[in-house]
Amino acid sequence: MFDYNFHWRPVLKSLPDLIQAGLVTLEIASLAMFLGVVIGLCLALMRMNMTGPLKWFAVTWIEIARNTPALFQLFFFGFGLGAFGINLSPFVIILTGLSFNCAGYLAENFRGGFQAIPVMQINSARCLGMNSWQAYTRIVIPQVLRIVYYPITNQMVWAVLMSSLGMLIGFKELSGETQFFASKTFRVFEYFAVAAVIYYVIVKIVLGASRLLAMRLFRY
Amino acid sequence: MKKIITALLSIAALNSVSVTADTLDDVADRGTLRCGVVLDFPPIGYRDANNEPAGFDVDYCNDLAKSLEVDVQIMPLTWSERLPVIATGRADVVFGGTSDSLARARTVGFSIPYAIYYSQGVVNSKSNITSIDDIRGKRVAAALGTLPEQEWLKIAAKWGEENLYQSYQSENEVFLAVAQGKADIGLTTNTAIKPITQQYANLEAGPRMPWVADYTSIVGKRQDVTWLNYLNLFVTHQVRSGRYQELWGKYVGGDAPDLRIPGVMY
Repeated sequence: MFDYNFHWRPVLKSLPDLIQAGLVTLEIASLAMFLGVVIGLCLALMRMNMTGPLKWFAVTWIEIARNTPALFQLFFFGFGLGAFGINLSPFVIILTGLSFNCAGYLAENFRGGFQAIPVMQINSARCLGMNSWQAYTRIVIPQVLRIVYYPITNQMVWAVLMSSLGMLIGFKELSGETQFFASKTFRVFEYFAVAAVIYYVIVKIVLGASRLLAMRLFRY
Repeated sequence: MKKIITALLSIAALNSVSVTADTLDDVADRGTLRCGVVLDFPPIGYRDANNEPAGFDVDYCNDLAKSLEVDVQIMPLTWSERLPVIATGRADVVFGGTSDSLARARTVGFSIPYAIYYSQGVVNSKSNITSIDDIRGKRVAAALGTLPEQEWLKIAAKWGEENLYQSYQSENEVFLAVAQGKADIGLTTNTAIKPITQQYANLEAGPRMPWVADYTSIVGKRQDVTWLNYLNLFVTHQVRSGRYQELWGKYVGGDAPDLRIPGVMY
């Protein structure tokens, strides 16, 4: 039997702190995504075009990032490296962990995007006198970005939600702040309900902003 | 017709009896006490070499079940699960080093204190921390939502050093962070110092923290006064019978702390 009376007033009093923590969540997710896109693009190119150690490096990264839990990856950057005397701050651990994971997933999205571009287009660009760099940066990558735009948006939503793992390694984002208040007052249900609403609003803002950006980028 | 009305009234009366039944009756009827304990708090709650729950709190669960003449079901909990298991009725009682703060007392019911702890630091032997003043400028860690965390943040705010504080999900991670050098001092309770310093070669006992003693209580439903009265009486009997001192001596060592504040009638 559920025997609990809801008290909303203390939660509403803490709302400014929770919103501030929500901004930290958005900030860390945005930074992780920026790094994830840059690294993911590099990994995809290394996997497709390189041979030897570089290809091996990219494949290993992608395989680990996609096939092990994000929590384990975060613990590895936190306590795993700590065992070898490499101590990163909680901010760097969560940023490294999320970027590592996002880069792995995005690399495969980019690879799919590259494979969707007919090779003929590169050949045509080369025939027009473009070198390989120009063919990629002016012909291929703009089209790839258009193909992978929505998967990237999806990954950004994932990054926002998975940043909640930060509280496990001492990084105080929205989930950590929520648990701090909930433990102080034992008003667990109210605090987590409000946090869920804040997460929902953040995701809706991210999706809305990405749609506006898409309308601007894909006008033609 | 009269018989039907009598039968309906009887059923209604039976229903009202079941609605007003309290945890004490529920446990007696069920024949099992569902007792929540935190096993991340040696020597108060931990897992022994056979991976079985053990410690001061676990023995208190067993004693409470024995007093009720029922079986016991030990429910291992994390720190943050201590309220939800009570509010959702999954546990009858929680023994979990739960500080009896007034903020929490608006949500759950507390018995009179059954154990008292003092906050103390576990320091990395390279940290050179021997007093509270040595902590200035050092990295401090504690478990999320614990009393040491809440009290330390007040000092950190006064010193302007909140950015040097790190919180972790469990005390195990706090000690690991200190042992690995991520934090210079981990805040815990005096009872945890001995087992932890025995486990890690580079950890040693740090200074005692300046805030008041941590009075911890048994947790039950706030509305269930009958059950809380029983728990109060149980604590009193544990002290009166000498069992409190016996278990404290077994798990912590030395004299058990006085559960009453002089001059205060709890």
